[in-house]
Amino acid sequence: MLFSAHSAWRPLLKSVAAFSLALVVGCDSTSKPQADHDTSKASTVQKGEAIRVGMSGSYFPFTFSKADQLQGFEIDVWNELSKRLNRPVEFVTSNFSGLFGMLEAGKIDTISNQITKTDNRQQKYLFSDTYVYDGAQVVVHQDNQDIHGFKDLCNKTVSVNLGSNYEALLKEKDVSKCIDIKTYDTGFEHDVVIGRTDAFVMDRNSVLAVIKESNLPLKLAGDPIDYMENALPFRKDEESQALLKQVNLSLSEMRKDGTLKAISEKWFQTDISVKGQEPQVADQNAL
Amino acid sequence: MLDWSYLGQLTPILIKYLPVTLGLTLVATVLSLALGLALALIKVFKLPIANQLATLYISFFRGTPLLVQLFLIYYGLPQIFPAMKAMTAYSAAILGLSLHFSAYMAESMRGAIKSVPSHQTEAALSIGMTLSQAMRRIILPQAGRAAVPALMNNFIDLLKSTSLAFTLGVTEIMAKAQQEASSSFNFFESFLAVALMYWLMVSALSWGQHHIEKRLNRGFA
Repeated sequence: MLFSAHSAWRPLLKSVAAFSLALVVGCDSTSKPQADHDTSKASTVQKGEAIRVGMSGSYFPFTFSKADQLQGFEIDVWNELSKRLNRPVEFVTSNFSGLFGMLEAGKIDTISNQITKTDNRQQKYLFSDTYVYDGAQVVVHQDNQDIHGFKDLCNKTVSVNLGSNYEALLKEKDVSKCIDIKTYDTGFEHDVVIGRTDAFVMDRNSVLAVIKESNLPLKLAGDPIDYMENALPFRKDEESQALLKQVNLSLSEMRKDGTLKAISEKWFQTDISVKGQEPQVADQNAL
Repeated sequence: MLDWSYLGQLTPILIKYLPVTLGLTLVATVLSLALGLALALIKVFKLPIANQLATLYISFFRGTPLLVQLFLIYYGLPQIFPAMKAMTAYSAAILGLSLHFSAYMAESMRGAIKSVPSHQTEAALSIGMTLSQAMRRIILPQAGRAAVPALMNNFIDLLKSTSLAFTLGVTEIMAKAQQEASSSFNFFESFLAVALMYWLMVSALSWGQHHIEKRLNRGFA
C-alpha cells in the first residue's frame, strides 16, 4: 500500500523533471547570449553584436504593441539606426520604472522611451544629441471645467508614470505641496477618463496622438508647463561612449537627409525633431 | 460594453506567451521542490549549523515580498557583483521564484513529515532498518501523501506569481496583456482575458490534485 503510493510518485516526478530539464535547456539555447559588460577590459564595439534597446512597449505612439507587433516612433528610429550602424538591434521591453535599473545593471545598452534630459540624469548618464523636442502637458477630462493649467492643480489628484520626469517636475513646481500625485505603471490616462484622478501630466506630442487615435474624452489644459528635450541615455563606460559617438553621427545624418522628419511626420503629422517647434511654455505656472 | 471582438483578437496573442508563463512555473516548481525538501530534512533532523542557516533562510524568504526579492536579485545584486550582469531576466525570475517558494514548500513538507507519528520511525528502526531506510521506505511515502494539499497551494501560488516577472522585463501573458491594453485602452477585456487564463491553468492543477489525492488515498479509509 505504502509502496504503491511511493511508486505512484516516481513516474510523475520523473516526467516533470525531464520536462522541466528540457525547458531549461531549450530556453538557454533560445535566449540570446548576453554580452559581458566588464568595464575593465578595453572593449570595442563589434559589428554584428546586437544593441540592446530598452523601452516600455506601452507608450503610444513612441513604443507600443498592437496585435503583438512592437511599433512606434522609437522603433522606426532604431531600425534606421540599425541600418546605418550596420548592427542588429534587440528591443527589450519592461515596465518603465524598471528601465533605468536595467541600464544600470548592464542588461540594456540604452533606453529609447522619450527620456527627458534632466540634471539628475545627466550626472549619472551620457546623453545622445536631442532627437525630440516636446513639452510637459496637463491633460484633463473633456467635461472638466475648473482645471486650465498648472495653477489649478492644487488639491487635485494628478496621475503620472512611476519613475518619470513628470513626477519629479510636479514635485519641484508644487512648492506649496498641495498636489496629490499618484504614480502608475500603466493606465494613468485611463484613470482620468473614468474620473479616478483629475488630471495627468505627459508629453504633449503623445497626448495629441493618443487623443486623436483613441477617441478618449480628454483635452489639453492650458499650455505646457515645461520644455523637454528627449535623448538616449548611455552608461558612462568606454563601450557605451564609442556607441554613443556612432549613434550621434547617424542621428545627425538622419536629421540632414530628412529621415528623422519623415519618421516624425508618420507618427505625429508634424516634425517633433527640430527645435523651435516646441510648444510655448505658459507663464502662469510660476506659482 | 464588453468588446467581444477585441477579446477574440487578444486571446490568441496571449496564448503565444503562455509557454513563457508555463516554463517559469515548471522550472521554478521543480527547483523549489528540491530545495524545499532539502531544507525540510535539515530542519527535521536538526543538523547542526545547517539547521540555523535553514531557519534564517526560511525566515528571510517568507518574511520579505517576492517583488522585493526579484528586484534585489535582478537590479540590486549586479551592482555588488558585476558577474551577475550576465544573468537574463528569465533566469532571475526563475531564481527569485525558486528561492521564495522553496521557503514555503520547506514548511509544507516539514509539517507533512512531522505529521507521521514518531512511533513509525521507532518501529522501523526496531526491525533493523537504518534511519535513511526508515525515511525512504516508511516516513516519506506517508509524508508525501500528507503534503499534497499544502504543496498544491504552493504550486498554485507560484503559477500566479509568475505575473511579477514583467517587472524584470520578461514578457509573459500578464506583460503582454498590459502592453496591448496600453495601446488599445481596452483594459477590462485585456485583464479579463488574462484572469481567465490563470483561472483555467489553476483549475487544471486542481483537477490534477484531485486525481493524485484519490490515487494516494487508495487503501486509506
